[in-house]
Amino acid sequence: MGTEIYQQLIATTTGVLLLTAILQVWGRSLVRSIALLAVQGAALAGLVATVGIGAGEPEAVAVAVEVLLVKSVLLPGALLRSARMIGETRERPAAINTAVELIGAAGLTLIAYIVGTPLVGPHPDPARQALPVGFSLVLLGFWLLLIRRSAITQLIGFVVVDNGIATVSFLISGGLPLTVELGASLDVLLVVLILGVLVVRMQRSQGHIDITELKELHD
Amino acid sequence: MNLVDVGLQATIGLAAVAILAATVLRGRARNVLAGLAVAGSGLAAATTGLAALTGLAGTGLWLPVALPGVAVDPLVLAPDRLGGFFMLLAGLVIALAAIFGIGYAHGAAASRTGWTGFALFAIGVELVPAAQDVLSFALAWELMALGSTVLLLADHASRAAVREATLWYAVMTQLSFLLLLAGFGVLVAADGGTSFARVVGIGEPVASLAFGLLVAGFATKAGLVPVHVWLPRAHPEAPSHASAAMSAAMVKMGVYGILLVTLRLLPYGPSWWALVLVFIGAISALYGILQASVQSDLKRLLAYSTTENVGLIVTAIGAGLMLRQAGQNAVADIALVAALLLAISHAAFKTVLFLGAGAVLHATGERDLDALGGLASRMPITSLTFGVGALGAAALPVTSGFVAEWVLLQALIHADARSDRLLAVVIPITMGVVALTIGLGLLTFVKASGVGFLARPRTPQAAAAREVGFTERLAMLAAAGLTIGLGLIPGPLSQLLAGAVGARGLATSGWTGLELAGLDAVMLDPVALTALTTVMLAGVLVVNGIAARRHPRREVDLAWGCGGERTSARMEYNATSYSEPLARVFGASLQTRRSVEISHPDDAPLLVSEMAFSQETVDLIEQKVYEPAARWTQRFGDLARRLQNGSIHRYLGFSFAALLLVLILVTR
Repeated sequence: MGTEIYQQLIATTTGVLLLTAILQVWGRSLVRSIALLAVQGAALAGLVATVGIGAGEPEAVAVAVEVLLVKSVLLPGALLRSARMIGETRERPAAINTAVELIGAAGLTLIAYIVGTPLVGPHPDPARQALPVGFSLVLLGFWLLLIRRSAITQLIGFVVVDNGIATVSFLISGGLPLTVELGASLDVLLVVLILGVLVVRMQRSQGHIDITELKELHD
Repeated sequence: MNLVDVGLQATIGLAAVAILAATVLRGRARNVLAGLAVAGSGLAAATTGLAALTGLAGTGLWLPVALPGVAVDPLVLAPDRLGGFFMLLAGLVIALAAIFGIGYAHGAAASRTGWTGFALFAIGVELVPAAQDVLSFALAWELMALGSTVLLLADHASRAAVREATLWYAVMTQLSFLLLLAGFGVLVAADGGTSFARVVGIGEPVASLAFGLLVAGFATKAGLVPVHVWLPRAHPEAPSHASAAMSAAMVKMGVYGILLVTLRLLPYGPSWWALVLVFIGAISALYGILQASVQSDLKRLLAYSTTENVGLIVTAIGAGLMLRQAGQNAVADIALVAALLLAISHAAFKTVLFLGAGAVLHATGERDLDALGGLASRMPITSLTFGVGALGAAALPVTSGFVAEWVLLQALIHADARSDRLLAVVIPITMGVVALTIGLGLLTFVKASGVGFLARPRTPQAAAAREVGFTERLAMLAAAGLTIGLGLIPGPLSQLLAGAVGARGLATSGWTGLELAGLDAVMLDPVALTALTTVMLAGVLVVNGIAARRHPRREVDLAWGCGGERTSARMEYNATSYSEPLARVFGASLQTRRSVEISHPDDAPLLVSEMAFSQETVDLIEQKVYEPAARWTQRFGDLARRLQNGSIHRYLGFSFAALLLVLILVTR
């Protein structure tokens, strides 16, 4: 693979990652948000494949397939199923408006670049130069957790944080062994499956899935 | 291996046996065996302490403790002479309290937890003076705190006051420990080692910082004003053998700590240190005895009297240090010996008094003096021993209290106050405070034993009192014997004590008496004085006897009975009425809440059917310092509630903010 193509591929995949995260902050439709998550997963898989092949590790293809399967098919599928069972497809109105949310997201991306660039240093590898994207994903995922009220979006935010962590680890290490990545993503899958069931139960017992209503502290 | 080493091992081993016995056995057997084992541990500690006090130095016990990644000096238990003295004191008190506990402990205090707590407490209090480094000191100190808290909690299920008292005690104990930890931390940071032996030549201002923290911590344990508040709560609520051990032994560990700091760790401090000690000592002595004098709860009275006695001890220490700095070494030595004599004397008579109060509580279920009375004929041994203890607390002759306060006053009188402007102010005031304290102490203990044990019983419970069992009587008699023994034969022990604080100018006169050779050869020979008094009294008795034979006994009727001779127990002086003048004279510092309730018959509002009077004394320091502090803490806690409101978003926000902050700080 030529350096040019390698650079282009890295830029494309990380660009898609960042774009999907921003779009998730923007929109209020749950279904669209989940679809964006699937695209994000595909971009992450593409990034894994690119970095792995660029580093000359054919095993990376297997990891990429696994990432694609878990993050682009299984996780969004599970979330979509939970959302359908509940019957909610739109986010409830939040305390702050969309413009503030987007400005916050832009600020966080900026912070990610400010704090990420000195960590990378003057490194020639374009994969390393893309590291701030991973930080942005983590921060944007956290931002989703903070500004959204629906339990499903909380799960989406959690997966975005995890995607960010995975991005950083792939970009820094140039690819993880299959077993490690398998363990990590299956963990997340398990959490999402369990929480998906919990969300459905919450809807049944409370009649809503708004986590701002869950404020009662126990002694 | 010499006596000290064997004794240390026996101390720990026997306490372990006690824990085993407490865990395995049940019922009466548990009380007997666990009590005997703890008493054995106490006696072993006393023997060890005595051996160390005579100057015997062992290799000590080296505790095998490895802290990964931290370089500490080895943990050594090997009492020096001063530590030996406090080990002797603690061991004797623990032994007596444990023997008393064999018969006395019942309910939760006799449970598995109760005896285990007592054994742990015993180990702690016996080993604190043996510690030669910061870590083993802190370890023993915490064992002591833990064990005593468990003991204090014994009756928590049946009485709510116990829970409140334990909360106060736990807070003050932990406060004390935190202060000590900080103080020792400063010392260790300054010289780099945890062993006491390595603390030498620490300069200002580090030394003063360490002094302030350590003395504050030790003062909290010793129950000095203004950190005395746990004493009058904890002592009444603990089982009596535990309160005896806490008051007579544990509180002395605070005194030991102050001596450790001022004599051994930081011996060349600036002169204001001594002034601080004299000041808090004098305030504690006065405040303690004033509060004690108006209490009618017997155990609360004894608790305040503990504050008074510790105050006197600390005053003596402060005066000694001050005189030493002024170059009056002979007088200073005597003052320091007086501090130790006061300590052991207080340990002896306070053990008797608390055990006696326990016996009364056991026999009548009452500790309110106003509800007692007439116990002298029903509980002769308890009354006799309590009387001896009260004599000691009132510092009257033939008891240890008299000797100790005599030595202190001698030191103060012989100090040359003209040589130094500070001394010229401090010494006369101190003398006045000590004299006033002794006088009020006399009133207080006349009240305690007079109202409690003489006259007629005021309640049916007091009238139905029966003498306590064998082990209780044995323990009280032994403690009373110690009180009188120290009072009659003060010479030999005083000489040993002089060695413990490096004092000269003390000699034994005859076999038993005490001669302060450093101070114009002042001499006290209690045995000779007692013999002389007996001979003089014998003459009076003979004359009295002859006179009685010459005039046979006549019946005298009540002169002003107005035809009726009904007297009832309600006409007697009780504790409240006896101390009424004191409460009025010292009204400014002893605020009392009095309430008189008068009820009228329904049909005649001008007639009185019933009157009830009640009086409650207020601890001013508690009211002015602690209650506002508690309110502020509460308010601060409410602020925290605003942070912690249960919203998931808020918690997420906190961690997110923390993450951002860390990221920004890391890359800055």
